[in-house]
Amino acid sequence: MENYIVEMLNITKEFPGIIANDNITLNLKKGEVHALLGENGAGKSTLMSVLFGLYQAEKGEIRKNGQVVKINNPNDANALGIGMVHQHFKLVEIFTVLENIILGVEPNKLGFLQKSEAKEKVMALSEKYGLSINPDALIEDISVGMQQRVEILKMLYRDNEILIFDEPTAVLTPQEIKELLKIMRGFAEEGKSILFITHKLNEIMEVADRCTVLRKGKYIGTVNVKESNKEELSKMMVGRDVNFNVDKKPAEIKDVVLSVKGVTVPSKHHKNNAVKDVSFEVRAGEIVCLAGIEGNGQTEFVAALTGLDKMSAGTITLSGKDITKSSIRERSVSGMSHIPEDRHKHGLVLEYSLEQNMVLQRYWQPEFQKNGFIKFDAVRKYAEGLIERFDVRSGQGPISVVRSMSGGNQQKAIIAREIDKKHDLLVAVQPTRGLDVGAIEYIHKQLVERRDAGKGVLLVSLELDEVMNVSDRILVMYEGEIVGELDPKNTTVQELGLYMSGAKRNTAKEINHAG
Amino acid sequence: MQDKQTQTPKKGFDLKQLTKSRGFSAFTAALLAIALGLIFGFIVMILANPDKAISGFRYVLVGGLGRFGDVLYFATPIMMTGLAVGFAFRMGLFNIGASGQYTMGMFFALYVGFMWDLPNGIHWIVAIFAGMLGGMLWGIIPGLFKAFLNVNEVITSIMFNYIGMYLVDMIIQGNGVIYIASKSRTNYLPSTVQIPSLGITGSNVNLGIIFAIIIAIALFIVLERTTFGYELKATGFNKYAADYAGMKGKRNIVLTMVIAGGLAGMGGAFAILAPSAIAGSSMTYEPINIIAANGFNGIAVALLGSSNPIGIIFSATFISHIQRGGTLANLVGYKPEIIDIVIAVIIYFSAFAMIMNAAIGRFIKARINKRHQKTEKEAK
Amino acid sequence: MDTIYYLIQNMLPVAIPLLLVALGGMFSERSGVINIGLEGIMLFGAFFGALFVFTIQGAGINAQLVLLMGMVVAALAGFVYSLLLSFAAVTMKADQTITGTSLNMLIPAAVLLFSKMFFNSDGITTNMGFFIRKMPVLGDIPVLGPMFFQKTYLTVIIGFVILIISVIIFYKTKFGLRLRACGEHPQAADSVGINVYFMRYAGVSLSGILGGIGGFFYSVGILDGNINGHSGVAGFGFLALAVMIFGQWKPIRIMFAALFFAFLRTLAYSIALIPFLNDLGINQTYYKMLPYVATMVVLAFTSKKSRAPKAEGIPYDKAKR
Repeated sequence: MENYIVEMLNITKEFPGIIANDNITLNLKKGEVHALLGENGAGKSTLMSVLFGLYQAEKGEIRKNGQVVKINNPNDANALGIGMVHQHFKLVEIFTVLENIILGVEPNKLGFLQKSEAKEKVMALSEKYGLSINPDALIEDISVGMQQRVEILKMLYRDNEILIFDEPTAVLTPQEIKELLKIMRGFAEEGKSILFITHKLNEIMEVADRCTVLRKGKYIGTVNVKESNKEELSKMMVGRDVNFNVDKKPAEIKDVVLSVKGVTVPSKHHKNNAVKDVSFEVRAGEIVCLAGIEGNGQTEFVAALTGLDKMSAGTITLSGKDITKSSIRERSVSGMSHIPEDRHKHGLVLEYSLEQNMVLQRYWQPEFQKNGFIKFDAVRKYAEGLIERFDVRSGQGPISVVRSMSGGNQQKAIIAREIDKKHDLLVAVQPTRGLDVGAIEYIHKQLVERRDAGKGVLLVSLELDEVMNVSDRILVMYEGEIVGELDPKNTTVQELGLYMSGAKRNTAKEINHAG
Repeated sequence: MQDKQTQTPKKGFDLKQLTKSRGFSAFTAALLAIALGLIFGFIVMILANPDKAISGFRYVLVGGLGRFGDVLYFATPIMMTGLAVGFAFRMGLFNIGASGQYTMGMFFALYVGFMWDLPNGIHWIVAIFAGMLGGMLWGIIPGLFKAFLNVNEVITSIMFNYIGMYLVDMIIQGNGVIYIASKSRTNYLPSTVQIPSLGITGSNVNLGIIFAIIIAIALFIVLERTTFGYELKATGFNKYAADYAGMKGKRNIVLTMVIAGGLAGMGGAFAILAPSAIAGSSMTYEPINIIAANGFNGIAVALLGSSNPIGIIFSATFISHIQRGGTLANLVGYKPEIIDIVIAVIIYFSAFAMIMNAAIGRFIKARINKRHQKTEKEAK
Repeated sequence: MDTIYYLIQNMLPVAIPLLLVALGGMFSERSGVINIGLEGIMLFGAFFGALFVFTIQGAGINAQLVLLMGMVVAALAGFVYSLLLSFAAVTMKADQTITGTSLNMLIPAAVLLFSKMFFNSDGITTNMGFFIRKMPVLGDIPVLGPMFFQKTYLTVIIGFVILIISVIIFYKTKFGLRLRACGEHPQAADSVGINVYFMRYAGVSLSGILGGIGGFFYSVGILDGNINGHSGVAGFGFLALAVMIFGQWKPIRIMFAALFFAFLRTLAYSIALIPFLNDLGINQTYYKMLPYVATMVVLAFTSKKSRAPKAEGIPYDKAKR
């Protein structure tokens, strides 16, 4: 028996309807970087939340240094030296860096805050680990990478020795990722133990000592990373060989469908523009991918393109028609279909039935209404047709409440609706986010099929694999600007990363020329 | 697949299938809130006067039954304010301004009643429409504030309740035709402007209740059958998705508030234009700077009816019923305010009755399961 | 000069209830709970304060001491009543606006019921004189004396003391930091071991205490220590919410907003004394509407850039992350 600092034995955690963790065991050695690998929804975050005291497991036990412990809340976890950097940062935006670090463990005299004392300790830690920060800056004013440092300092400030990182690299540039992995390695060498949640194999190969794999809430196995390889890990993760490549014919590029010129969008968070002078074209029969790290203006650009938000300058032309000032409805009618980034926020009315959602863009057309009264028969028939063609599965067919459907089928419903609607341009924003491999393959196939049907496709994606495999042309967005245009056939992920992190850029002239 | 075929209903969205459980739980939740409200009212009655509590409470519960005409008469205005609140609720707006809209509607109706000379048979109809217009005016303002300036409709509505109340009281007091200063109330309205009575002896019940019910049914059809209803509910459920689908959010907010205001305004008109059982008199209004209670009672009505127009017909009748009972409890010394307390408590519990309902349901289920397990074990 | 003294002397007793109740609203909303029930809480506090004064007024105790005791009673009453909101909004995760509305409706009815049954009137009438003609020493200071320490109530001094304490609690203590975190990002607070439910109960309870005191001070400073179920506190609870929004949920700004609104109201009720305005011959009711209209104007201009606590109005559910 080896000496483990943390043992999670036979953990089972259920939520209404699903077993998120089914009898999972994970052992963490002191001073190791232990990766937790799995697809979205495999139960990684749930397992870590159990360890951190955010959830209580129904079955199983947790041991620290061999002693059984009860972790009922984050305070208990903290007392045991367990800290966590959450995937979505848990920072109060209107507080300063310092206030966020000390929140919950405030040094105080009789309840009065002792900030100068706290500041000294924070600055000492910041220096020791090379995590430079400005303690008096507000969180809302600093970059995402900087915010992550604050999260790490939060753990260090609490003298945590077991550090959980939940998908820490998703929001970072390749260069920042490198930096972070180095820091994690440094922690491990100092004797701290690291749990590193990810689904990126490269990062595991680079930094982890051991790796535990979960799939659909079940424990698959633990391997020594040095004795394994990417292929084995990925097979464990998805349960079969994955075809990373998307089958597609060479693109047959035709006329310009979308032309964007000088689009500028003001930011809602700061005084600068979120999108700066963006120009490009999308032609019929090609998939153009707008790539970039999260938060570089893609969301704002799409909002302006689809009419959800106003832009301050520029023009948009769709199939030869100027739609710069058109309403959302007019753009939709002019031939723009939109698979939105957040399907729960924008794409669906979750309380409505599937058939009601299927006509969300079209309920007002003569096909579905007469004198303002909805033609229920027509809606039903139409919905049934789409459900069959796109294989949308649900409990009660057209009358299922969409909230009760799985994420993959919800996304299929949106795709069915947007594809079946008359369109020349399909704007697909992170269409595979949070879905399992099967659904991802299906969606990629649909995108390629649209392309081959002679439509223009604008894909906005954060996933490098998706960017490289699906698109015919890549535009890289960095800090609100298009900094590069790349051909996926003649480029590498590394090069793409350099563009995405702003380390490299084509000159504006070159881009215009290419566009 | 077989399932799907047997279940495929013939017509329409068939909300029955969809909301069967939802509608049912809304109903039981309403019952739960009512029960708790009445129990609380009973406790207050015991505290106030233990000797008479039981006879007083009996009046509250069943007193209204003997005076069904009156129940319907008093149900009319709160049915309208209930619809005004409930309709806006479906859009996700909390129209706490039904009071001001109601007062404005009442004033417009009064004004037409006194200041316009119109033939019998037309006068009261014009006055009702005037009332609707007045309410619309007071409804459109919070709507515009919300749609174009992003000001929360709750705070606007409250402010306009006060502004409307002061304004109406001031204008009435300044008008010698409408106002009798010596009696500090409005004059009797001419009979031409009074809504025809339904002719139930000893009761003021009039055509107003029929109109209110017809309006409720019409609203039900609008909500469930039309594209406007589809947009309105979609916005109420998820305004981002409504935007995404190209619905005109701002227009719909303003339109909804105009309709809601019109409904409350008609409620005010129905109330003031009701015929009096005593010949030669009419309903009157006292401008004493008090916010109209019927507006707030509309909130209770809407919540109990879970914002469904058909449900509101029943909830308004019920609230009116216990209000009549409360008035009768005066016979044994209780003040009618006891019913206002009961209504407030009902609203309080309505706000989380659904959650409570679910909790009780789970509890009962667990008990039954336990018993089952027990009997199974025993059987072995 | 006399007119200015007069306006300030009359404005402050009006400003203090607004200030205290708006501070209460601030504590509640910054913890994440919208408290629209402040109107009811004020009346509840005022009723119990007045009831206390009514029962003790014959005992010959110093009036200012009675005021202090009445304040404690009103604070307790407000605290207890606010628990109804905390329970519904925090524990039961109910709609906060609806719950607050029901609290507003309950109290006038209850006050009327009990006053009618036990006093045979619509409220409570007391005969205690809380008015201070001139405070010793302080009242003799030139200029400031007549402004702040003559023809006034003890409530004014207490009100400013409470403001200072509120500022310190809000910005300088561990409690204040945690409270603000709960209204902004409760998940973050939870993840560092702060009990969000407890902090929200605390925020609402503070609003209950301040609302109760504010209600009692309204009764003392505006209604001569009386209270009436019909007119209640005349929408002051709602105005306080507007003051809070105008003050951007920050204590010092709230103070200025409260002074602004109180000034408008005092002006409205002093028309007869200001020759220039009196000569215009505008109906007094217009001036009475002024605070409400001003609220609308102010909100119309500020709301686009106003920044409410991010998590306010959203019940916190541990199970949902």
